[in-house]
Amino acid sequence: MEIRKTLTDKSLIEALKSDANPDEAIRSLYRTQFSMTEAYIKQNSGTQEDAEDIFQEVVLVFIEILKKDKFRGESSVSTFLYALTRNIWLNELKKRGRSKLRDQIFEKGKDKTDMDVSQLIVNRELKSELMQLVEKLGETCKKILIAVYFENLTMREILKSLNYENEQVVRNKKYKCLKQLEQMLAAQPILAKNLKTVLFYE
Amino acid sequence: MNEHATHTDLLIQYLDGELQGEQLETIQKDIDENPASREELESLRMAKEATKSYALKSRISSIHHEMMHEMKKTSEPKTPVIRMIAQYSFRVAAVLILLFGISSLYQYITATPEKLFSENFNAFALHETRGSSTTILEDLYEKGDMKTLLQQFELLKTPRGNDYFLAGNAYLSTRQPAKAIETFLNLQQFNRTNNTHFFDEDLEYYLALSYLGNNEPAKALPLFEKIHADPNHPYHEAVSSWFLSKVKKTFKNDR
Repeated sequence: MEIRKTLTDKSLIEALKSDANPDEAIRSLYRTQFSMTEAYIKQNSGTQEDAEDIFQEVVLVFIEILKKDKFRGESSVSTFLYALTRNIWLNELKKRGRSKLRDQIFEKGKDKTDMDVSQLIVNRELKSELMQLVEKLGETCKKILIAVYFENLTMREILKSLNYENEQVVRNKKYKCLKQLEQMLAAQPILAKNLKTVLFYE
Repeated sequence: MNEHATHTDLLIQYLDGELQGEQLETIQKDIDENPASREELESLRMAKEATKSYALKSRISSIHHEMMHEMKKTSEPKTPVIRMIAQYSFRVAAVLILLFGISSLYQYITATPEKLFSENFNAFALHETRGSSTTILEDLYEKGDMKTLLQQFELLKTPRGNDYFLAGNAYLSTRQPAKAIETFLNLQQFNRTNNTHFFDEDLEYYLALSYLGNNEPAKALPLFEKIHADPNHPYHEAVSSWFLSKVKKTFKNDR
């Protein structure tokens, strides 16, 4: 029989903040929090598809907030995720031009959160552009960069999964790929300038 | 590897915390003094962060599909039973509707005046109208002895309104619609002559049925239409639109 873990807030936060594999912690978030997001979105003019998209963003933003030590722990994870859900959904409604509905929802629950909505709007759109940029990298480049910077694999471990002569070749490839991405970013100075604010000073 | 590439590589190594000793000091000095190096380092850091965000998003997306599948499976045990019951009920309802439709169509296609008469004729229920004193015809009618009733009726020299009506029903019960028509028409005449109203409304219905039984739907139809058009007629509910359409259909065949 499969054992499904439900983590406490503390262990959940630690698991998501660390550089270790976050998969089980993300699964735990789904098991405990998704139904809340689903109910909220559906109650506020959203569809099942909206709920799923928004929850993915909520998880992404939450993990990034944790990694930047921006979560002060003054509320429970559940309350914080609810506030995130609400703000991201409000931003989405604004993006879709449904400002009247957005205002109604905002008025209804404005005392429930202190999150900076406008900052989130900027972040979401910029990050979306950023994702599209990374997507344009070749598959090998993406694999190497993800293996190094997200999975924290060593050159030896990467060498085993990719067909290269030695670790130095992999290392050189990593430099080349990161440089390529940096140049792609440099080619879009406005995006790069805004991203700096989002990534380093949010 | 050219000099510029080497410089970028060093910046990446610096960014990744791979430099030590003299190399670290040299690049740190370069970053401090050279705005272009600082700019490049910032861009590289941004690229590194972008990769992390992209990877995290991809990972979440992958887990998302897995979890949606898992949660769907978890919530399924209850729903299939309900769904199965609902599906079964819908199927049963669909079959019943289909059977009803087929049955109705069959009835419509195979409708004949005689068949409509047989399906709809119920002898008049006497007990609803009789008073304290009864006649011999009423007693015979109540006993269901139609043969004797008709024999007695034919012996009457001056039948009364009730006698005509009971005899008409007796003729219908013994499948003599032509005689029933004649008797009911006599009652109409009797009522007109004597300015009476014996069984006025019952008469219309049973006369119409008699026409059907005698394979004369064209004569039955106006009577049935009159009853159908009058919501206060005691036989209004017995003459539905569907019944009328079947009568009309037999009438068309008759023509």
